[in-house]
Amino acid sequence: MATRGEQSPLTTHTVVDADVHLRIPLEDLADYCDEPYRSSIKNPTYTPVNRSGWDRYMGGNITKESLPDAETLNEKVCEGFNVDYPIVNAFPVLASVPESDKAVNMMYAYNDYLVEHYLDHYDHFRGLVSIATQDPEAAAEEIDRMADEDGIVGVYVLNSGAHLPLGNPDFDPVYRAAEDNGLHVAFHASAGAPFARDFPIQDNAIDRFAATHVLAHPWAHMLTLSSLIVNGTFEKFPDLNFTFLEAGVSWVPYMMFRWNKEYGMRRREAPLLERSPEEYIRESCYFASQPIGEPNDPTHLRSIIDLIGTDRLMLATDYPHWDFDHPDALDGHLRRFYEPEDRERVLSGTAGEAFGLDV
Amino acid sequence: MTEFVVAAADEVGDGERVVTELKGREIAVFNLDGEYRAYLNWCRHQGGPICEGNLTGTVEATYDRDSGETSLSWSRDGEVLMCPWHGWEYDVTDGDCLSKRSAPLPSYPVEVRDGELVVTL
Repeated sequence: MATRGEQSPLTTHTVVDADVHLRIPLEDLADYCDEPYRSSIKNPTYTPVNRSGWDRYMGGNITKESLPDAETLNEKVCEGFNVDYPIVNAFPVLASVPESDKAVNMMYAYNDYLVEHYLDHYDHFRGLVSIATQDPEAAAEEIDRMADEDGIVGVYVLNSGAHLPLGNPDFDPVYRAAEDNGLHVAFHASAGAPFARDFPIQDNAIDRFAATHVLAHPWAHMLTLSSLIVNGTFEKFPDLNFTFLEAGVSWVPYMMFRWNKEYGMRRREAPLLERSPEEYIRESCYFASQPIGEPNDPTHLRSIIDLIGTDRLMLATDYPHWDFDHPDALDGHLRRFYEPEDRERVLSGTAGEAFGLDV
Repeated sequence: MTEFVVAAADEVGDGERVVTELKGREIAVFNLDGEYRAYLNWCRHQGGPICEGNLTGTVEATYDRDSGETSLSWSRDGEVLMCPWHGWEYDVTDGDCLSKRSAPLPSYPVEVRDGELVVTL
């Protein structure tokens, strides 16, 4: 039927979408890998990148979408949703690859594939370089290799199933490379197999996907943010900023205030910090809107956004995943509750600042 | 109030629907065993094309306090319209949303007149 984007009030505004995913078939990815990895990816005896067996598409009633090429991405996201600048990630689930060396080789392949098949095709596409958390040194070198590619604006870090909590000093080379190259760091969790690495009991014991899905993303972000705080990562890399994708925003106030309280009682366990955790969160962290909460009273969402600040909030759709947010869902709140400049900030300004976009 | 002929009634079989655009709005007419229902093709959640979704059933549950047992059953087969975007469920017979009482699908009067489906907006 008719293109729904034509009716959107977003048509006259600049819109950045911070979270657009690819789903690269492994047989295509394998062509970008070296041997012996190429053959093992083309002829798996197990699923090289594990996907969990959950019924994500509700018995096939929810449409499984994908963006198999640049033209489709442009048509569905840019034209269909009125997005001017999609920030695309290859969505590799490298934390599930059991062999570290293979994960590193696949990391190269995912990044080359993203550039060659997407970023090179449209000037308004932006992209994130993905890293394998198994090997921080190799990840740092990969950031150096990719940083000057046209359209690369940040680093994509899968923070479910990361091989240590991501504030661990082992990851400092990754953050140093990002900071040295002027690249933003974006964390993105997973409700699939990597969730089971961090939270195996919960993953095994919850037998409905809804519960896993609600918990997986904020739990991963809570773990990551807590690890950044206790390890003083914000102080180690003061020029580095972080975006937390795909957990919405409602988890953030809890972390700000709970961490202030804990830090007050146990300051010596986070001795690198010089200010309150809330200050670091407000100054160094950004948050992507999807999945935006759906309180029964819409003014409650306004309260949450007020608390975090529109200067910390950026629009994201998560398209083409089944739980994507149409941009109008957030924009409806923005038009209803906020001044035009605050709306512009969320639609494009925050992501522009965080990822250093020239938009 | 304006009346629109959207299709010949015999063009829409039992369990089928026709989606059309009337006055700038996408409207679907469903044939439910000879009863017709017309809804806006706009999911109350995020504006997805609800009327292009599958007609399916749903899971219902009862809890027996005496035995402590929860019983699950597949029910309302063919009566639950599910949004292809995010899975919101509606009762296709009356437009009620199964997960949110305050969010029924907007509906329109529809009747068969001289073998034609007539929707009134």
